[in-house]
Amino acid sequence: MAERTAPERISALLDADESQTSNTSMRLPAALRDAAALAVSELGVAPSATALTAVALRSTLEAIVMQAALDQHYQEYPQARPDLGDLAIAAAQLDGHPLAAQPGLLRQAAIEITARHPAASPDDVLLWAEARAMPAA
Amino acid sequence: MTHLIILDSEAVQALASPAHRKHRQALAYVQVIASRKQRAASIQAVVPTAVRVEAGWDRTSPTWALLNRLRITDSSLDSPAASTAAAIRSQAGVSVADAHIGAIIAAAVATRITVVTSDPADMQRMAGNKPVTIAAI
Repeated sequence: MAERTAPERISALLDADESQTSNTSMRLPAALRDAAALAVSELGVAPSATALTAVALRSTLEAIVMQAALDQHYQEYPQARPDLGDLAIAAAQLDGHPLAAQPGLLRQAAIEITARHPAASPDDVLLWAEARAMPAA
Repeated sequence: MTHLIILDSEAVQALASPAHRKHRQALAYVQVIASRKQRAASIQAVVPTAVRVEAGWDRTSPTWALLNRLRITDSSLDSPAASTAAAIRSQAGVSVADAHIGAIIAAAVATRITVVTSDPADMQRMAGNKPVTIAAI
């Protein structure tokens, strides 16, 4: 049996039973710890600072595993990699953004914004397209 | 805020096959989800197990390796979901897989629900009064 890759092992651990817990000696910046405690006590964003930390950590690890799988796939099938226009349309559709119905406008906005900001995100494209679609005051 | 993304059979098939004409579009949705997880957004893609059956997604088969690595969670057709799905199926005359999607929508507590589907009209009907965003693939 082939040895599993690090992303596969991380993925398996993310799927494992969460009832087992352990104390860690992880050192957090004090200000970050205090900000998390405040978010829990004042804003009720999570049952505890520990839960808030675990959720954020899980989310980041899931993103890492997903991105590793996607990157490997793009390497094998370069034509499958979505461009910024594709991603902006996908983001708009997932969010039910009104501009989801205007893919041409989003593609054009992606081209324009990439010329100025090569590292622009799909959300940047949506904002740019929204601004462009607004009638001049 | 939690965002639940439900995949239908066509979305699964598009994701699975690089030869599928919507493959790149399907990957764009997953790429957006991965990017949002990276920013610790509460977002989760799920596949109803009945959809998995319809699409032929066998998690033990190497054919489905890419999808298995994309952190798409199974939403099981347990007893309550089966009852809801049965009612939807007899009322709307839809497939078992689509009725399972309807049952997930009915039970979901997410603040935002998006269904990635090739059949927007049926999904909108399935959602009833519940606000659901439809991403047409």
